[in-house]
Amino acid sequence: MSDLIQYTFNGLVVGSIFAIAAVGISLLYSVLRLVNFAAGDFLTLGAFLTYFLSVTLELNFFFSIVVSMLAGMGISWFLELVLWRNLRRNKAGTLALFLVATGVALMLRPIIQFLFGTETRKFNIDILKTYDFLGARIAHTQLLVLIFASASILVIALFISKARIGKDMRAYANNPGLAAVSGINVDRVVLATWLISGALGSLAGVFQGLVQGQFNNSMGESLLLSFFAAVVLGTIGDAYGALVGGLLLGLFMELSQLSFFFGGVPSNYKPVVAFATLVLVLLFKPEGIFGYRGRKV
Amino acid sequence: MINSNSDQVLFSVNDLQGGYGDIQILNGVTIKVPDQSIVTIVGPNGAGKSTILKAIYKIADVTSGSVTLNKNGVITNVLATKPHNLSSIGVGYVPQIENIFPALSIEENLEVGFVNFENNNLETIKDDIYQRYPDLKIKAKDRAGTLSGGQRQMLAMARALMSSPRILLLDEPSAGLAPALVDQLFEELVKINKSGVTILMVEQNARRALAISDYGYVLDMGKNRHEGAGASMVDDPEIVGIYLGKK
Repeated sequence: MSDLIQYTFNGLVVGSIFAIAAVGISLLYSVLRLVNFAAGDFLTLGAFLTYFLSVTLELNFFFSIVVSMLAGMGISWFLELVLWRNLRRNKAGTLALFLVATGVALMLRPIIQFLFGTETRKFNIDILKTYDFLGARIAHTQLLVLIFASASILVIALFISKARIGKDMRAYANNPGLAAVSGINVDRVVLATWLISGALGSLAGVFQGLVQGQFNNSMGESLLLSFFAAVVLGTIGDAYGALVGGLLLGLFMELSQLSFFFGGVPSNYKPVVAFATLVLVLLFKPEGIFGYRGRKV
Repeated sequence: MINSNSDQVLFSVNDLQGGYGDIQILNGVTIKVPDQSIVTIVGPNGAGKSTILKAIYKIADVTSGSVTLNKNGVITNVLATKPHNLSSIGVGYVPQIENIFPALSIEENLEVGFVNFENNNLETIKDDIYQRYPDLKIKAKDRAGTLSGGQRQMLAMARALMSSPRILLLDEPSAGLAPALVDQLFEELVKINKSGVTILMVEQNARRALAISDYGYVLDMGKNRHEGAGASMVDDPEIVGIYLGKK
């Protein structure tokens, strides 16, 4: 029983981070048809920048997070201006965009390494402090992440469903041709998409760094596959779906370690669970949990 | 015939030439749309009817000519305006196909059509639209993709009306509708026109469209071929013989 609580809790924590990262990837795909292979490195960048500001420069932790979210937004917007906008103007296809995104990832990694080094880092927060909850051990950092990540998910969901620009984004994703001729400001939609995905990337990076306790510069890329699995699980291009897909995948990856699941998957094989989920969903329900058959993805 | 109380030209297409890349479709089209009127463009397939509207929205290319909007003396160069800004200067457009957002709710379809300018209010306009189309209100929270063909066309028009347009550009509004719905649609267009919205439409269903129009243009090979008062064209033997077909 205490195992079940423990893994469920861990799953919610991991899942909420997946959800935040996956929704950024999903929005970018639905609005710009861009498979953002660099998403993982934006997490790493966010974590390292927050580390630099809060530990090296000894600035306030929350302030540091906000600054790295702004940095994520700025870099995303910069890349849109110099790169993506011109590629779209030249009618680059999904494959071309995907390859360029991979290139961006391969460029970001050495830049992060050059700026912040290769050593393992940790935030200035007590990672050993734990609470006891019905026999499960819950780390202080996990609890923090769960609270703030849940709040973020709520804000994102409300934004996408209620804000005018959120509706515009969904409209553009659903029928770009009509959006462009019906008064929806396409430039603003694209800007908003990049800003949101940039901010969420940094935020998810900090959360992941907190949960891991310590992190190095390969943190983000190692999670990329799980994010894509979450996006596919929640229906490609569906923002709410990505939120749910992220949570479900996180829960599933953690609960797979319980003994009833083929004797329990060893924790270092968790990425295999993500990959297996990705493959199984694509094989048997390619439209994802929120999709319907016949829908274009 | 209807509301032809003003001779002022609200919208004009002047010697427009263009097409898609190297393929020239429009070879100099001129259309004048008087304020408060209904003007219909008819013509055989491939005459370039829809291309005129697509050129205005930068979906087709323009090589020469101009399109102007004259709102009470304030003249706007339409071709120099970004397509998504046309709603805010009073030009609404309902494309022929894929003219709704199927994944959004009906209410959201209307909301994204709203353009915030002057002092119009989203809720007031939405209430107005719901009063006019009670069917849409009943299904407000449903996904627009669940609507029938006729209801979709109604929603597409309602969405365009959300921006309080001075002129509505309609691309084949009756295409794909059942005959009974076609009658309803044309009645609806007359009502919209009576509420003060000028209409420029391109129609395959020429006879019906011309019957409600103040003025009609026949296009052929991307050029003006005939023009005249809408109702009179339906009776013109030459036009009937060549372009409208026998009854």
